[in-house]
Amino acid sequence: MPKVIRMPKLSDTMEEGTLLAWRKRVGDHIKRGEILADVETDKADMEFESYTDGTIEKLVVEPGSTVEVGATIAIIRLPGETDAEVAAAGVESSTLAPAPAVAPSLPRAPAPAVAPSLPQAPSEPPAPASPAAQPLGLPPALAGPRVTPLSFDDGRLRATPAARRCAEERSVDLSEIEGSGPVGAILLSDVDAYLRELEAQTPEADGVRATPVALRVATDLGLDLEAVKGSGPSGRITKSDVEAFLDREKRQAVEREGELFTGVLQLSQKRKALIRNMIRSKEEAPHFYVQMDVRADALRQLRDRVNAESRKGRPRLTYTHLIIKASALALEKFPDANATYRPEARDVALFGQINVGLAVDVNDELVAPTVKGCQGKSVFQLAEEANQLIQRARMRKLQPSDYSDGTFTISNLGMFGVNGFYAIITPPQSSILSVGSILPRAIVVNNELAIGTVTTLGLSVDHRVLDGVKAAQFLGEIRRLLENPEELTRDAHEFGS
Amino acid sequence: MHTSSGASIEIRKLGRIPFAEALAVQNELREDRLAGAGTDTVLLLEHPDTITFGRASRPENAPLSDSELRCAGYEVFRIQRGGDVTYHGPGQLVGYPIFDLAQRGRDLHRYLRTLESVLIETLAAFGIPACRREGYTGVWIDERRKIASIGIGLRRWVTLHGFALNVCCDLERFDAVVPCGLPEAEMINMCEFSASLEVSEVLPRLEAALCKEFG
Repeated sequence: MPKVIRMPKLSDTMEEGTLLAWRKRVGDHIKRGEILADVETDKADMEFESYTDGTIEKLVVEPGSTVEVGATIAIIRLPGETDAEVAAAGVESSTLAPAPAVAPSLPRAPAPAVAPSLPQAPSEPPAPASPAAQPLGLPPALAGPRVTPLSFDDGRLRATPAARRCAEERSVDLSEIEGSGPVGAILLSDVDAYLRELEAQTPEADGVRATPVALRVATDLGLDLEAVKGSGPSGRITKSDVEAFLDREKRQAVEREGELFTGVLQLSQKRKALIRNMIRSKEEAPHFYVQMDVRADALRQLRDRVNAESRKGRPRLTYTHLIIKASALALEKFPDANATYRPEARDVALFGQINVGLAVDVNDELVAPTVKGCQGKSVFQLAEEANQLIQRARMRKLQPSDYSDGTFTISNLGMFGVNGFYAIITPPQSSILSVGSILPRAIVVNNELAIGTVTTLGLSVDHRVLDGVKAAQFLGEIRRLLENPEELTRDAHEFGS
Repeated sequence: MHTSSGASIEIRKLGRIPFAEALAVQNELREDRLAGAGTDTVLLLEHPDTITFGRASRPENAPLSDSELRCAGYEVFRIQRGGDVTYHGPGQLVGYPIFDLAQRGRDLHRYLRTLESVLIETLAAFGIPACRREGYTGVWIDERRKIASIGIGLRRWVTLHGFALNVCCDLERFDAVVPCGLPEAEMINMCEFSASLEVSEVLPRLEAALCKEFG
């Protein structure tokens, strides 16, 4: 009697289950312990194994449908069972639905490989020793695919010498043929039937010629047959061609990798987070860039003068400290620049604080500790806080709060000989200042050539937040402050007292 | 009928390991259990940023393509477990019990409900009141906020995959997908109830609850 497969009951309370996918097709052989289907119930997926050997006679339930526990989902014909026995068990040909399309629906896959309507080989009476390969006397349109790869227990391919000779002459891939002889051996008549079936095969619309089995293997793997060379009958691509192609691809990929790379660097979590952020920034924030040259003679003199005074408890000032102060003052004057675009709300929100991040390289790791609440702090206070942050960064002692909540960032590559550059904005900020080297350069003053200390500032701007004119005004304000640096120290008198 | 009284479990803590590695360990343990060897084992671990799609995943729950997700720093896997798409990442405590349910009463739903009990007890140890939601496997704070997800795979009564408890993970990293295919659900962390809570603090409580319910 054929085996009726029912929706399994996986618990006392289970009432129904969903058939997610069939792993076998009508006509496929199945062995005990092989997986027949995937069944789902309430957040649990079950790989449903067959507990019998046989051939898939019928798949009753379409993938995706939900049925009650105990409902028939499939019928398996046991080895050696005849049509009569199958019919007696109520599995009549007239009740058989066409085999459901069970090919995985891979997006690029070509047309279903073995369509249920595969034309049947004509009249030749099936060999009596092969019930599994019989067409079951069904109308051709209803029968399952006949051409299925058969895997023998010992993996050996058995064929008669006549069959092998014919296969070689006609370039037939024997592994695609199911043998109807003793112990599944392929007979000459099997090869003939197979060839007739190929002749009746409808050509593929895209011009790729392949045997049904090769098509199915390719569909299952999502492989485009365009690049595969066919060695089968009339140049058809066979299963062996597909397998050889895949082997070659894999080997070449391994070889290419060996040639291309000599090693692999594992990235830290921080590095991966940085990569994510940079991608997000470039993908989401439309960047534009403005650049200005800044005379830094007065700035240099101020720095040297203040440091020469070297009052106790007062940190030595660097260009970076002065640029932080200038940025903070400019952001105070241009609140629109201290802001972020919010995609969900489609608005621009103004930050309540001015928090200036400093891009710092510590042992090849980029961090951006943030000086918080810059508004109202003197240049010396800012310097003190920045120094502490940078020291903590060097000791790898930064807390997450030390590098979060920045509203603006300064990146300085001047000490590495970089004249000018444009850094990537750190989301959710809307601009970043890039500082180049501060060096004597040839300049024009009153139509005369002169030497002046100059630096080039680049500002990368999120166009959603600021337009060109605003960006120019904002950068212009930073320049004005750096060229008139006394404003940077105006509020500094009480420090250190 | 077997009872669970004679059963015992082994707990293995794997730290933070990539999804593929954890899956290999799970498969090894499952092969043992399928062959009637080994003991019921729970793997406790964290994953790096990972998106997994269950068999029931609907495309609309992952607005980004696999390659876009990979660009955004996620590893992407399609796996044989129940449920829709979900996110795993640092700060999320993941548990993979590889149990032979044939020795535990052959009842899938009882197993799912017991997993929920384990998680609810663990949360209670930190004073976080959590509950079940009828028809929505997982552990919830209320109708809207979900704190732990469950999705399992089963072959011949041997379980695979398991649960994920949000301790202090970056909830924004869930935003790349619609977790569990429930757009109205909102993911929540334990640390929102108990500030600066870390995975290492939750581990012992979770182990105790697992031993109590399954040991």
